[in-house]
Amino acid sequence: MDKLIIGRYLPGDSLIYRLDPRLKFLITFYFIGIVFLANNVASYAFLLVFVLFAVYVSKVNLLFFIKGLRPMFWLILFTVALQAFFTPSNDPIWHWAFLTLSKDGLVIAAYIFMRFILIIFISTLLTLTTTPIEISDSIESILKPLKAVKFPVTQVALMLSIALRFVPLLIDETTKIMDAQRARGVDFGEGGLIKRIKAFVPILIPLFVSSFSIAYDLAIAMESRGYKDGEGRSKYRVLNWSKRDNWTIVFMVLVTAILLLLRSYR
Amino acid sequence: MLVTSLTKSISEISGNRDTNLSNDFFLPKGEQMENIISIKDVFYKYPGSDNYAVNGISLDIKANEWISIVGKNGSGKTTLTRLIDGLEECESGTIEIDGVVTDEETIWDARKKIGIVFQNPDHQFVGATVEDDVAFGLENQGMPREQMINAVDNALKMVDMQDFKKRDPQSLSGGQKQRVAIAGVLAIKPQIIIMDESTSMLDPEGRKTVINLIEQLRSEQNLTVISITHDIEETQLSDRIIVLNSGKIVKDTDPADLYNLGPQLTEFGLEEPFTNLVAAGLTDLIDFKGYITEEGLIDKLCELNLKR
Repeated sequence: MDKLIIGRYLPGDSLIYRLDPRLKFLITFYFIGIVFLANNVASYAFLLVFVLFAVYVSKVNLLFFIKGLRPMFWLILFTVALQAFFTPSNDPIWHWAFLTLSKDGLVIAAYIFMRFILIIFISTLLTLTTTPIEISDSIESILKPLKAVKFPVTQVALMLSIALRFVPLLIDETTKIMDAQRARGVDFGEGGLIKRIKAFVPILIPLFVSSFSIAYDLAIAMESRGYKDGEGRSKYRVLNWSKRDNWTIVFMVLVTAILLLLRSYR
Repeated sequence: MLVTSLTKSISEISGNRDTNLSNDFFLPKGEQMENIISIKDVFYKYPGSDNYAVNGISLDIKANEWISIVGKNGSGKTTLTRLIDGLEECESGTIEIDGVVTDEETIWDARKKIGIVFQNPDHQFVGATVEDDVAFGLENQGMPREQMINAVDNALKMVDMQDFKKRDPQSLSGGQKQRVAIAGVLAIKPQIIIMDESTSMLDPEGRKTVINLIEQLRSEQNLTVISITHDIEETQLSDRIIVLNSGKIVKDTDPADLYNLGPQLTEFGLEEPFTNLVAAGLTDLIDFKGYITEEGLIDKLCELNLKR
């Protein structure tokens, strides 16, 4: 569990940390969108420079991002290989049975690889510099217009933040249950895949039971503290939009303009 | 000293006991308000169960009183507190909080006067950080943010946790988590604090800090404390101990009187106080009668030492 970098927050302080989480959230999705606009070496290089610049400004060690790639390694390798060997071409460099390696294929594979790197880096940057609760607050704020169609935005946001809050507790619970089963002779690390999966069934049931009992306790505690429903509540945490957020938007407009320029530059 | 404390408690007993119910009707209004909680003939049965978890309980609790509720598991202690806070609904009988009978409509106001600190510190933490959690009750009341910031700071100061404001609950010890839970309860400025075995999952040090804190807050904030516990040390601080068994009150007395029961205490889910056990082992050497306080025991032991 410790090795997973994606979705983990890293305490720190820098310009990126201080940006409004709503802006960070939206920019991340915006950036993932514009990655698909890049179509030549120059535009991909530019986006890579942008991402590396953002990483530099965030003052987060680049190693974290490279570690973040690790769980995706096989997926990236598979996709890139698929593109490299299966792109049809009239001018193959190398050919064997149904596999063809061509210059075009290699270029497309390199682009796909770049897309992976860019998207993973930028989303890792979001989660490393934004606490889960800030992300859930952003989602609440962004979804607010849906209140007009009776969508329970505040309740969903509270649900989300409580779920996030209980993830470490449930991990503890799982470890406890696993230890209890180990003490009675269960071996989780041995046997074939099926056997290992089967060994996890006896963990799931007590985990479900204890989740329900935690949920019950929490519901009682919330009610005793006067929680009725989402309505009529005030908010302690507020998100503050500041000047630097405006400047970041201007910066993003510039980035987009340069990208469009490079794109048409064949 | 022992004698004075005993006579004091005896006079308290004779002054309070059995008079509440009948006197309420004749006393002037000011006197009546003294009972912050008044429970009358309450019955409650869990759905699907044949036995009453609370079987005809009547109980008056005065403002600023510290009450311990003891009894074996399943004796109805927790159920009783849940009924007081309206978390469960009585089958029959009435519960009055601060002079108002609770029902579906008045319960929300009553809950503002009652704060409960539960047993498991992890299962009552709603917020992602300490300050968020303390603010939760205030958010529910719709308090404006500027006031909330002050209220949260004050509450954290009261429990001496202001340095931990931004921390997430996972990084706190059990005792610290319970102190945050107490701050969350204090923030809404309650008149009554219910401790539902709040110290049972803490280490001795955490237990001590929490108990001392509650005692200090009780006098500072003029709080009424209802403490459910199995811990004999904790009951020593109370003015009054209620013993429940199968949903009924079997004893309503003060600590000294209860500890006099000696070995019979185990029947009520309590252990004998440490002082009792020491005294029991020394009956041949010193003349002990009934319950003895820690100071009393020390005096007697010094006396014994001098005699040698």
